[in-house]
Amino acid sequence: MLFQISEQIVNGIVTGAVYALVAVGMTMIFGVLRAINFAHGEYYMVGTFGAWVAIEYFDLPYPIAIVAGVIATAFVALVVGQFVMQRMVGAPAEAGVLATLGIALILQNTVILVFGGGYKFFEGGYIEPVTIFGISLAEQRLLIIAVAVLVFFGLELLVTHSRMGKAMRAVSQNVDCCAVVGIDVRKVVVRTFILGAALAGLSGVLTAPVNVSVYGGMGELITFKTLPIIIMGGLGNVRGTFFAAMILGIAESLVATYVGLQFRDTVGFATLMLVLMWRPHGLFSSQARY
Amino acid sequence: MSLNETSLPAAGRDLRWPFGLAIAVLACCAPLLLGSYALHAVIISLIFLLPAHGLNLLVGYTGLLSLAQAAFFGVGAYVSALMAVHWGTPFYLNLIASGLFAGALALPLGIPALRLRATSFVMCTLGFVIIGQAVAKNWISVTRGDMGLSAIPKPHFALGPASFTVSGTVGFYYLVLAVAALATFAVWLIVNSPAGRNMVAIRENETLAESVGVPTWRYKLVVFMISAAFAGLGGSVYAHYLTVVSPLTFQMSNSTLMLIIVLGGGPGTISGVVFGSLLFVGLSEFLRIAPELRMIAYGFCLLALVFWFPKGFAPLITRFWTLLRGRS
Repeated sequence: MLFQISEQIVNGIVTGAVYALVAVGMTMIFGVLRAINFAHGEYYMVGTFGAWVAIEYFDLPYPIAIVAGVIATAFVALVVGQFVMQRMVGAPAEAGVLATLGIALILQNTVILVFGGGYKFFEGGYIEPVTIFGISLAEQRLLIIAVAVLVFFGLELLVTHSRMGKAMRAVSQNVDCCAVVGIDVRKVVVRTFILGAALAGLSGVLTAPVNVSVYGGMGELITFKTLPIIIMGGLGNVRGTFFAAMILGIAESLVATYVGLQFRDTVGFATLMLVLMWRPHGLFSSQARY
Repeated sequence: MSLNETSLPAAGRDLRWPFGLAIAVLACCAPLLLGSYALHAVIISLIFLLPAHGLNLLVGYTGLLSLAQAAFFGVGAYVSALMAVHWGTPFYLNLIASGLFAGALALPLGIPALRLRATSFVMCTLGFVIIGQAVAKNWISVTRGDMGLSAIPKPHFALGPASFTVSGTVGFYYLVLAVAALATFAVWLIVNSPAGRNMVAIRENETLAESVGVPTWRYKLVVFMISAAFAGLGGSVYAHYLTVVSPLTFQMSNSTLMLIIVLGGGPGTISGVVFGSLLFVGLSEFLRIAPELRMIAYGFCLLALVFWFPKGFAPLITRFWTLLRGRS
């Protein structure tokens, strides 16, 4: 019994690490743009497809496919960032919702148009099991956790110490003042957007071997998983997002095992509502801002 | 038609009646002018007009962005379907019950949700849709899960000895037209009452509204309930028109379509929303000529809307209106 619970918790941590990688990008984008990115799951999907194409069409090994997937996502994000997101600076919330919904439709259906709507088998990744403390885990899951920890460590350094991180924080505080002191707000927005989307793409490539199948509509579910996480984590809060993602991952894993698999996808929003009733500003922010 | 009434000079008002009459005649003759498929598209857009009207009160007049409409739409559809299938109650009773039930359900949901700030509120309302779908899928003893409820009777009216069933597309068109016209009139009454002005005050500056004695909290809650009731009505008509309901009624894309209708048509205007529902539902149906490219084209239309018509199409109608008035 105890063993089974600890196994479920470890599974939950893996799921949480994936969510954390996707959600941290979305929360950073929210920080600089004040817009909820309803297309965020689509970048996860683009990353996965980038890697799938690299493996399926070019016969590349998985590690290179990871890079290919991330580059594909970054490229798509560059185009979208230049043509759409840049103009969303200071736009009303409604404009952001409509524009990102439009982008989600375009990306999702373009992929379906090019590759067909069916499920595709993702060949690659490290699926050999490893046993640690009596819990058997696929290597891929360990890789996911390791990458998540590394990425969060890197982001922490980037945000607190680098020039770009400082600019990002400045933009998320006050756009007008940044413009006054000569920070190129649009450049910061596009860079943050590319970084956030690339992280979503990376997590897509890393998860694909665990999920086995990839399909064009897979991003939507990810977006809906990520939204409650970034709210719970306190919008724009990187550390809060990490903990909220872990809580959600573990909660989902436990609910799927002990309550029923069909309830798994509602855990996020149900938890969110409970949390918001108790703390209307999220778990990790001291005051309500958005 | 209530396009910025106050801003129109008195001379312009004379045009309202002939213009309104022309639209009414056009609406009544639509079955003669349109093919059955186009008529079907118009019926769907009139059905979506109901939740869109409710959402317009919330987004356009009170300034609360919500994605919950599909949840109340679905609830309305299921209430109607269950009543009609199990009790055999007539259409108008199901319609009223759906509206009332959805409106009442919005009270316990709205109290915690409305305490949240803008973005958190949007997410919370989105959660209602996701959870509504999960309930419809898993409460199998009542909703039959993914199989949904089918064989919902077509609307049937009995007045003394005379009785008739609305079965054809044309008959249904007139029924939906009547419901939609009544709903539009109801919204017009709400918006032009003192309550409507208070709603706009909340949208423009909530703190200021509060300070001049508008009970903002109560207003927001009541508007949330009214918007849910409109969505419930829409769901009820939808269930009776399609004669089946499934958990897909709760799909997120329904909520986004309703939002697109309001934001694209012109939030805070009634005619804009009417125009928006015809345009966007029509567009989505029209694009079926190229099924592979349909949703991509729709996505580009949304981007075009955001960049070129940030206030929706209402300003366009207003401009047309002033042009018309200038010539008279």
